[in-house]
Amino acid sequence: MFSFTKEQKVFDISGLTIGGQPGMYPTVLFGGLFFKGEPDFDDAKRHLQTSYEHSKRTGVPVIPDFFIRKVEYIEPILSFIEKVVPKKHPFSIDIIEPSIKIQTLEQLGSRKLLPRTIYNSIHIGMTKEENDALRTYTPEAAIVVAFNPKDKSPDGKIEVLENGAHLLEFGLLDIARRIGIEKLLIDTAALAPGENSGAAIAALPVIKEEYGLPTGCAIHNVVEKSRWLNDFPFAKKTVDVASNNAIPLFGGDYAIFGPIENVELVVPLIAWQDILVSEYTENYFGISPVASHPRRKLLK
Amino acid sequence: MKQKLKTSVIGSYPISINTQELMNGYFSEQQISWTQYIEQAIQDMTAAGINIVSDGQTRDPFIQLFTRKLQGCRIRERTEIIGRVEHQSPIIIQDQIYARRLLPRHVELVGVLTGPYTLTKSSVDSYYHDEKELAFDFAKALRKEAELLGKRVDLISIDEPVFSNELPEYATELIQTITNGLSPPTRLHVCGDVSGIIPQLVDMPVDILSHEFKASPHLFDEFQQYPSRKHMCIGAVRSDDVAVESVEEIVSHVKKALVLFDGNVVQIAPDCGQRLLPRNIAFQKLKNLAAAGEMLNGG
Repeated sequence: MFSFTKEQKVFDISGLTIGGQPGMYPTVLFGGLFFKGEPDFDDAKRHLQTSYEHSKRTGVPVIPDFFIRKVEYIEPILSFIEKVVPKKHPFSIDIIEPSIKIQTLEQLGSRKLLPRTIYNSIHIGMTKEENDALRTYTPEAAIVVAFNPKDKSPDGKIEVLENGAHLLEFGLLDIARRIGIEKLLIDTAALAPGENSGAAIAALPVIKEEYGLPTGCAIHNVVEKSRWLNDFPFAKKTVDVASNNAIPLFGGDYAIFGPIENVELVVPLIAWQDILVSEYTENYFGISPVASHPRRKLLK
Repeated sequence: MKQKLKTSVIGSYPISINTQELMNGYFSEQQISWTQYIEQAIQDMTAAGINIVSDGQTRDPFIQLFTRKLQGCRIRERTEIIGRVEHQSPIIIQDQIYARRLLPRHVELVGVLTGPYTLTKSSVDSYYHDEKELAFDFAKALRKEAELLGKRVDLISIDEPVFSNELPEYATELIQTITNGLSPPTRLHVCGDVSGIIPQLVDMPVDILSHEFKASPHLFDEFQQYPSRKHMCIGAVRSDDVAVESVEEIVSHVKKALVLFDGNVVQIAPDCGQRLLPRNIAFQKLKNLAAAGEMLNGG
């Protein structure tokens, strides 16, 4: 547990606070919806309800991360967001295909949802058309994936943020800022075991010290990619949930924890970890947790 | 019998990298192979009819290509030296092996090393605080790479552009560290205006000297003052200009060199690496260079 010498930025994203020194604000969780199959809106509504209840009880914010795989899902998913996600509450959209990203941005614009949108994500694969669409329909915040195919170490992640690793004309941070997005959340790009998987965690404090920006990752993806764990089905779920602990422990600000079905397990776990970090950082560095922090909510 | 004039490249070649595909590999957990980019470079060079081709130096600019894999180096805006520079694993060998597999038997392969002084001057030193010591550690690391390279290529070229701006008094010793006793022939490429360092260049412990005679034609006159038996690679098309030189223009340019250097011109090439040119322009320049080579060889 530590504190950074670099000033840490704190962003307000539609009422959600993220960033800062370890122990100050609760770790933010992103829970995924609609990764597979047809979107099941009844199921999603139930999980969202559970996640908001858990957030309220613990102080750990949960942001729904809506995965949009097909063009025909854009309209129903955005309508669902309008109806079900509490007004002014932020959400993220998680899309791989550039053409779907562009169409979704247009619809987010026409529905006036952009001030609540966290765009997941900006990365080396961004097309010119996507860049143009982002300039027209600029979301409130964006996740920037620091994936550098040339160098998977923390240094390589900084390189792609800084100068694009000679794959792009500019660094990813510069690209995002030229679009007009200032609220940037760095994703340290977790990779499979054998691909320097630990670098995603090691990069959390390195990147926070370098840029002072909120930083996190989807470390649970490493668990999914650990095929040997399939031989331990009873333990796999525990490992998947527990993997998120490493993020606040290493000074990170947010965890993309996978399917929102795990929210009942992940939220208390992170609340516990946040309390642990906060007790030390307040004692040693004098960093006081905010009123909404799990330590304030749960330890009375 | 008169030696046949060979057409060669200097090193880098422009290729298009599909960053979307690289990112899709990240999302789908698939390893994306880099070989397609080596293929692009090799395909263009061989289709143009060049006799001595490189792997295209596709992975990185010529500094990062080496410093990314050398111990003691960290890449930020520039390369930073944060520890002792050492060779820890092969750097460009796998790409040479792959490039060789793509080549017809009659086409030769040049392995290109970025020179130790250029690596030194392009880095920010936070460890040695002694330029000479750093340069020699780079040279020792490159020597190890050169030994591995010697088994895989027909020619080793050392790219030292910084020499044209600043030639250290230990330059010869530095190059000697790499080339001493190496089995394949060696070439030293120094682009820029080398008119002030020709006496030192002609004594360099390499088999071939390579310079940008097209962008700096006054070098013909300058070299005339220092007669030498050193073999020469003549820069015959510009690497910093998109205007494509005609075959006739190249032939006329090289003929001046043939007269000046007598029988010592063994290669003609672009003035420098072609990385910064549009791919179609780079290809057309190589094509005309190859045609000029054939014409000069009596084809």
